[in-house]
Amino acid sequence: MIKWIKEFSKGLVVSNPIFVLALGLCPALAVTNTLDNAIGMSGAVMFVLLCSNMLVAVIRPWVSGIVRIPTFIVIIATFVTIVSLVFQAYIPALYESLGIYLPLIVVNCMILGRAEAFASRNKLSLSIADALGMSLGFMAAIVLIAVIRETLGTGALTFFGITLFTLPVLDEQPVSLFLLPAGAFLAIGLLLAVFRKWGLIKND
Amino acid sequence: MTDLLAIFIGMALINNFVLVKFLGLCPFFGVSKKLTNAFSMSMAVTFVMLMASAVTWPITHYILIPLDAEYLRTVVYILVIATLVQIIELFIMRTNYSLYSAFGIYLALITTNCAVMGVTLVNTDEGFTFVESMVSALGAGAGFGLVLVLMSGIRERLEISQLPDSMKGLPVAFLVAALMGLAFSGFAGMV
Amino acid sequence: MVLLKLIKRFYAIIFLTLVVAISATLLGLTHSLTADQILRQEHARFMAYLERMFPDMDYFEHEEELYVIYNVDDEIEGYAFIGSAPGYSSTIRVMVGLEDKATVKQVMIIAHTETPGIGDRIEDEDFTGQFAGLPVDRIYLNSDDVDSITGATQSANAVIRAISEAVEEIFKEQSD
Repeated sequence: MIKWIKEFSKGLVVSNPIFVLALGLCPALAVTNTLDNAIGMSGAVMFVLLCSNMLVAVIRPWVSGIVRIPTFIVIIATFVTIVSLVFQAYIPALYESLGIYLPLIVVNCMILGRAEAFASRNKLSLSIADALGMSLGFMAAIVLIAVIRETLGTGALTFFGITLFTLPVLDEQPVSLFLLPAGAFLAIGLLLAVFRKWGLIKND
Repeated sequence: MTDLLAIFIGMALINNFVLVKFLGLCPFFGVSKKLTNAFSMSMAVTFVMLMASAVTWPITHYILIPLDAEYLRTVVYILVIATLVQIIELFIMRTNYSLYSAFGIYLALITTNCAVMGVTLVNTDEGFTFVESMVSALGAGAGFGLVLVLMSGIRERLEISQLPDSMKGLPVAFLVAALMGLAFSGFAGMV
Repeated sequence: MVLLKLIKRFYAIIFLTLVVAISATLLGLTHSLTADQILRQEHARFMAYLERMFPDMDYFEHEEELYVIYNVDDEIEGYAFIGSAPGYSSTIRVMVGLEDKATVKQVMIIAHTETPGIGDRIEDEDFTGQFAGLPVDRIYLNSDDVDSITGATQSANAVIRAISEAVEEIFKEQSD
């Protein structure tokens, strides 16, 4: 039980996939332009990571060494396609908003990395813990960046159509830098530096 | 001809894969500490992009689309890329061992490079012809290489400069990327 | 016995083939379950736009790219077509409603993923509203009758191009 909690919680802060392991940056930064995108992407990633970790942990005894990586890739790609089709059918607005970053989940180093480094060597229950912890850590990280980018970049924060709040000054004159890719790099760079200064994560 | 040039410049500069589309970030921040490594890496990536585009185009247009199986493209494309990288790795290992050991693990990591998969997806989404896909892959690779080389040059300097501890390494690299990204956004509207 | 030996030797390949086969089956299944819904969504959205543009629409027919809208009295309400052009960060699709074959009734942006807060201002009434009542041949890049959007030139120009290029396509065919 303790072990389960330990594997689960490491993905949240200590081994946070975005801020510490620096895995899966590509789709992460791209979808942090709005809160909706960040949450949608996290949901998709959580589904894929959970399913792939579970499946890989289960078929562990039968996977032969040489074809390990291609097998994991096919498994991950299958789940990514399933998520993609489901989104396209039931949440088309989110599907279009995520664009090519949805299929690109398949090359998210984080998912392949967890399959290779953890799920293929640990039993099912621990693999589930790992998947949940990592995806929650991922979600926390990109939601944080998205909140910063959307709030400063548009002066308001919206959640699937509902405006959560608007800021007084930035409402009229938002810092649209944050909506550009440069702003994403700026946000994550500064956040990383701040987290390191506060000792939340270790330095290089 | 101008169409092809527009595609090339579009993929290389205006929609630069690293600084505008956020693709290929892992090698961008990981490999780019030495100029020579950065250069060889971008050559390898461009080559894989070209090969991947060349192989995925006929598969898409002669197999997937006629069979109404476009939804299989994610699985198919990544398998093609993984296979190509494996073959290239074997080839380099047999012919030029020193280059192979210089690359180390980074060659295999090209498989999970979002930029390579990204090119194949863009080619299909934009409905490019075969030639247009090749030009787009060339442009994407050129843009990626340009940014990688620029970044590694800057990072070589950063290694020996005075920075607060919390900024060293990744954080300052991100800030540099932000400035480069701003510069590149000046290309928007060029075509 | 021989079969067992064969399986042992080629285990890796057989395993991978099995995995791929299962994956393809699973995907095919998911696809068949969702394909209908996906088509329905697209159709519903298309209809929603058309109905907003022509509230009196009863049914429509389409000859090639041009949609002819009929009202309950079987009279022609207007026409509609869809245009698209690459914008700043996405392909922008517009639906153009026409009063008659020469005047625009309304322009609606039906698909885009332009930069939120900047490029997505093409959805503002201030921008799309300007096309209402405009003669079709006055809509082209740098036309005196058409305003762009400061700071979102690429997105705005894409909309204009989407309209003008579609017009050229459709009405060129008509006159052929």
